[in-house]
Amino acid sequence: MKPKVAFFDFAGCEGDQLQVANLEEELLTLLGQVEVVSFREVMKEHSNNYDIAFIEGSCTRLQDEDRLKQIRKNAKIVVAIGSCATIGGINCIRNYKDLDEVRKTVYGENAKLFDTYAARPVDAVIPVDAYVHGCPIDRDEFLQVVKSLLLGKKPDIPSYPVCVECKKNENVCAFERGQYCVGTVTRAGCNSCCVNEGTICWGCRGLVDNPNENSHKEVLIKYGLTVDDAIGKFRLYFGWQEGKK
Amino acid sequence: MKIISKEDFADFVNALIADGSWNVVGVKSKRDKFAFGPLESANELRLDYDVTLLPPKKYFFPQRETLFTYDLSNGFSAKGFTAEAKPIIIIGVHPYDIVALLHMDEIFSETKSDPYYFEKRNSSIIIGVNIQKMSKWCFAPFMGCATIEYGYDLMLTDLGNRYTINIGSQKGEELLEKYAKNVTNALARDVMLVGQKKREIVNMSQQKFDFPPELIPELLSKSYEKSGFWEKHSEKCLACGSCVLVCPTCYCFDIKDNPDLSLERGERVRTWDGCLLEDFAKIASGENFRPTKPTRYRHRYFKKGKYLFDRFGFISCVGCGRCSSNCLPDIANPVSLFNDMYHQIRDKEMLIAAATTPEVKIETEGNIDYVPRLATIVKKVPMTASEILFEIRLNDGSELGHKPGQFVEISVFGIGEAPISLSSPPTKKGTFELCVRKVGNVTTKLHTLNVGDMVGVRGPFGNGFDTEFLKGKDLLFIAGGLGIAPLRSLFNYVLDNRKNYGRVILLYGCKEPRELLFGDELLALTNRDDVKFKPTVNWCPENEVWTGNIGVITTLIPQVDFDPEKTYAIVCGPPIMYKFVIADLKGKKVPDDHIILSLERRMKCGVGKCGHCQINQIYVCKDGPVFNYSKIKGVPEAL
Repeated sequence: MKPKVAFFDFAGCEGDQLQVANLEEELLTLLGQVEVVSFREVMKEHSNNYDIAFIEGSCTRLQDEDRLKQIRKNAKIVVAIGSCATIGGINCIRNYKDLDEVRKTVYGENAKLFDTYAARPVDAVIPVDAYVHGCPIDRDEFLQVVKSLLLGKKPDIPSYPVCVECKKNENVCAFERGQYCVGTVTRAGCNSCCVNEGTICWGCRGLVDNPNENSHKEVLIKYGLTVDDAIGKFRLYFGWQEGKK
Repeated sequence: MKIISKEDFADFVNALIADGSWNVVGVKSKRDKFAFGPLESANELRLDYDVTLLPPKKYFFPQRETLFTYDLSNGFSAKGFTAEAKPIIIIGVHPYDIVALLHMDEIFSETKSDPYYFEKRNSSIIIGVNIQKMSKWCFAPFMGCATIEYGYDLMLTDLGNRYTINIGSQKGEELLEKYAKNVTNALARDVMLVGQKKREIVNMSQQKFDFPPELIPELLSKSYEKSGFWEKHSEKCLACGSCVLVCPTCYCFDIKDNPDLSLERGERVRTWDGCLLEDFAKIASGENFRPTKPTRYRHRYFKKGKYLFDRFGFISCVGCGRCSSNCLPDIANPVSLFNDMYHQIRDKEMLIAAATTPEVKIETEGNIDYVPRLATIVKKVPMTASEILFEIRLNDGSELGHKPGQFVEISVFGIGEAPISLSSPPTKKGTFELCVRKVGNVTTKLHTLNVGDMVGVRGPFGNGFDTEFLKGKDLLFIAGGLGIAPLRSLFNYVLDNRKNYGRVILLYGCKEPRELLFGDELLALTNRDDVKFKPTVNWCPENEVWTGNIGVITTLIPQVDFDPEKTYAIVCGPPIMYKFVIADLKGKKVPDDHIILSLERRMKCGVGKCGHCQINQIYVCKDGPVFNYSKIKGVPEAL
């Protein structure tokens, strides 16, 4: 019996599911191993009978919690995919602002009609068994995680920062190029894809387990960033992890 | 010494590329930095570089390398490494990187030779170049690595419109003869100019050692426990591993399985790892044997400056300065650290007097084989909620041939390898037994396998217990929890050769009665009058029955009589146990060299290379896992 797989989305751009849909040939091979019973982005059918639930997006309303809990009840394995689901992602930038202001900015006069609370990752609401980090997720890593789950193995998610991959890839350090990067405190696993392309690490995979944030902020400032800008770097993706709840 | 014009040298390089039988790589620019990369034309070469991002070791010990591929779809087949299609020519290697390669050659040939490394290295051709610009972090002159007279096939020195070429090998000479035109003998003037250049190079460093670096090993040995020193220097450490990943002499690695989507085929790969990374010494149960930043930071300096020096006779640093330049918080510069360390030593004369040269004994015996032997599970006996005893037979019918106390690396293809102690004595023929606790990926998967299923086996590894030495001695076995598994191999061996040994006592403790391993077998010992067996549990829940001792393992020690002069205590248990057991044994007047321990660490490669199981200078996988307490009591990371 092939494991039944379902995809769900909450507050997010659905870019992670798009990455899965874009697997193309590998998606067909993958379909030899699993049966997809629910995937709104690519199919009409839906079933509540599934073994593995992939959840994209942050939880941003109290009502969403019921839906998450129901998914947890139905699924044997819950996998958070993409930054919004794994670490709260950029949705958590708004946690730094007054939520009424946020609602007014987005919905104007109708703000009252839309409930909201501090954006949060899936594991702030229900237990999560595995994570596919990234914004968006990396297709290869998604496949790695799926293979691990099918083999009964805990997915191998690095505990070290992106610098490790940058060094292996022989990238010129973003700081050496006069740019500012948070790869030094960001969990690796993306194969330093952004820096490989000549930009910086934005931190989409979240902080490593024990980041030395003080040292990193010192580095940012030493290389010429203002304190405010350095804090801003950390707010883009790390809001929830930095305790802004 | 030969001379070639720059135009003719470019033609030489282009001829090598055009020939097609070589993989020609050289130093090229990468943004405003430099890196070794494949050459399409001699025009790309930048021999005026200061330092490359990564050292050339990446060609012999790549960031990621397939050890073998496997296929489970049709029985089982594994394919080990295949020879590279083309030998490599590396153009533009600085002398310090050549020295680093010579270090790597020794490291990768110690104990067991690494065929993956040497297959590429032995066929390689190194065309070196003398330093023209020195990075501001480079301190190679202090390490004696700024110039070199050997270790290359050809060595270039830039003299403006021409290069002088030192020929370092027959391979180099033949290459020049075959592919280069207009090579002439150097004139006295050129020889003199090269000498002058080399003298200039030695004075190029912008770094400054305040003392002779030869004193580093002795300096380190005085600074291990220096109060606050390592904490201060590592406070800003980001644990990013940059310093070790760019190092030309670092060689720690990890081994992982990478199954493809069929889940039946895949590869086992080795990847660069680094001792500065947080989880480097962490084992599956979650125990981290080097858990803090200062200890990891210290380990790097000790490995380079002391442990490898003691083992190989060289300080494993060539002064390239890559670690310094890649450290964002600027805490990785060995020169600053060692200078600070030196200034903190009061009696500097002592340091010089105490410096010694180690006795180096490098032995090589055959090649490492990372492809496991195939074996079949012939019996599976659940023992507790988390431990299963597996009986395993090698498919080729051969004996494992282990000693008590040794371990094997057991493979579940697609998941990986885990080190497991042998639980059966060598006197048991045909099969061997492993008592496996479900704790990590491999062991969890192993628990789901059944009789008839296949696993991979590498080993046996490690030293094991010295059964000959123990003959005639009284033996006091002390096992805590899963520690009974390795001890059982020796214990049962002793029982099988009972007349060769003196008194035998076994003390065994676990948390609660339901966690007792080998229960039936051990309880049967109470019927024997030639063995004394005392079990204990830390506590007994109300719904369980226990008539024996209640209390931690050390509560049993006062309950048995033994002659400390005649007795050898053999101890294995969780890390926390050793301290207390050893203290109580010493209280009973057991001499230090009568205490024998088996230690657990993250054994990955099994042959003293990957670095994960290292406790200070010791590789548990090959120097251990069995240690005489008197030999390791002074090893700070051991207990």
